Amino acid sequence: MSELAIGIIGMASLFVLLGFRIPVAFSMFVVGFLGIAAMRGFNVAVNYLASEPFTLGASAELVVVPLFILMGNVATETGMSRRLYDAAYAIIGSVRGGLASATIIGCGGFAALSGSSVASALTMGRVSLGEMERFGYDNRLSTGSVAAGGTLGILIPPSTGFVIYAILTQESIGRLFLAGVLPGLLLLAMFVLTIILMCWIWPEMGPAGPRTTLTEKMRAMIGAVPILSVIVVTIGGIYTGIFSPTEASAVGAGLIIAIGLISRTLTLRVFWNAAKSSVTTTATVMLILIAAHMIIPFLALTHIPQQLGAFLSGLDVPPLVVLGLILFCYLILGCFLEGFAMLVLTMPIFFPVIQQLGLDPIWFGVLVVLTLEMGLISPPVGVNVFIVKSLVPHVTLGTIFRGVVPFWIAMMVTLGLLVAFPQIALYLPNTMIN
Amino acid sequence: MLRTLDTFAGRVIALSAILGTLGLIGEVVVILIDVAGRYFGSPLRGAQDLTQMGMVVLVFGGMALCDRQGGHIAVDLFERKMPDWMIRLTDLLAAATGALIFSGIAWQMWKSAAISRMLNLATNIIYLPKAWFQYYIVVCCIITAVGMLLRVVSLLMGGPIRRSEGHQS
Repeated sequence: MSELAIGIIGMASLFVLLGFRIPVAFSMFVVGFLGIAAMRGFNVAVNYLASEPFTLGASAELVVVPLFILMGNVATETGMSRRLYDAAYAIIGSVRGGLASATIIGCGGFAALSGSSVASALTMGRVSLGEMERFGYDNRLSTGSVAAGGTLGILIPPSTGFVIYAILTQESIGRLFLAGVLPGLLLLAMFVLTIILMCWIWPEMGPAGPRTTLTEKMRAMIGAVPILSVIVVTIGGIYTGIFSPTEASAVGAGLIIAIGLISRTLTLRVFWNAAKSSVTTTATVMLILIAAHMIIPFLALTHIPQQLGAFLSGLDVPPLVVLGLILFCYLILGCFLEGFAMLVLTMPIFFPVIQQLGLDPIWFGVLVVLTLEMGLISPPVGVNVFIVKSLVPHVTLGTIFRGVVPFWIAMMVTLGLLVAFPQIALYLPNTMIN
Repeated sequence: MLRTLDTFAGRVIALSAILGTLGLIGEVVVILIDVAGRYFGSPLRGAQDLTQMGMVVLVFGGMALCDRQGGHIAVDLFERKMPDWMIRLTDLLAAATGALIFSGIAWQMWKSAAISRMLNLATNIIYLPKAWFQYYIVVCCIITAVGMLLRVVSLLMGGPIRRSEGHQS
């Protein structure tokens, strides 16, 4: 049997296993192991069982995953993340659609503390949905803004999506983090613009919220200063070269813990629960990465990525068209597959193609992560939509999905802008110090 | 009998998660001391070694608890269309596959640890013996595999099935 045939059988088996609810990590492990065994013998495959788990498990570079997860978990458990929303609420809550915009800004701020979209949607949804309901917001606008705002979690650094991309493609985590900053802010601005436009066309969708006094505004802003300082120190530290991403993650986690202790919102029990939850989430991510490193050599042996690359490069079309095709695949896959799963399953195939075409891998990483975000609000899987649904059981799924449509369009526009102007993503990493 | 075994497994898994959590706290402390030390001109000697091995402790310490809490990401696209017997079958398959994978890792890691001991392999700066951490992985993988095997037995005896409630990303 040819190498290509084995590869195709392997990939087909992978999708069958995934369809049968076998966890993504286990499915990749089995297919990778059996594939290598079929092509290079059982002993070669068995060797990977010890080498890959230890090499990845002992990777100092990957410490950013648990530490940034810890930072986000502590911020959530202590209610610190709410302060960002409170500040935005106090400043713009009184304008039409202001509460929805405050939700988006709160999500953006929370995204800079946590790499998780689900955590962003859950945390901000808990504090903002009730408030928007109280002021008579249309359910489509309120739920859509929470679901869409939550997606900022994996674009604005620290982002677990970028860490996984970096490990799979051997790109710099720091450069990827910085590449996510401006596109993240652009997307945040696009979301706010969407809300403004919606409320301009249909004013009844987002009535003005309560007026706040200058003292209340100042108090809310002062409350957000510690959290904003953590964000500035971690991201600024990476940009200026003072910290490596690993050090920034530890400093960020340490600062959040210190703020929690000083403000007396962090008890030992709360900290322990946040830490334990961070450990189990890390285990989930790491097992997928270990499994990805079983399937990557198998795919390399089958030469599928090279053949696909040769085919796509051979097409008489510009590289941007090929990029468009790949992004289109991601948009379609995003409707059916969980983001991480999609990333680890496709990257070994698509990344060599991108390299062959000579496209910037950092830029491609940002585009891919943005399409992953779109998957989070695309039917039928749309994880963030289900998270919002769990917070407002009386609102139908159809209403929430209709609510995210304008935001999805805003994401498409952002994607188009990023494709047209790669500098939006590449400016910061290219001017990064050290 | 199964309930007693499950309770015992639960305690061992909790212990392994405690080690993982301590590993995480250790990571924060080590890196912070190193960063602060570097600022004052004396970085922590062996910080890199401690970070790497701390990562081993936290990653593998959390594996069993992650599985027990149903934390593995699965594609649940067709789940709503699946009858209960099929969900049970796929749960069984998943648990059995996981048990096999972790047993395999444990077995290979055991052999690898023996080689590390024979060759006195250690970390670069403060010479932490690699074998210690490889044996730790062996123990954690066995705990994870046993947890999965218990779920296989429980599912075979009509125990509860898992329906997904959402993913993390």
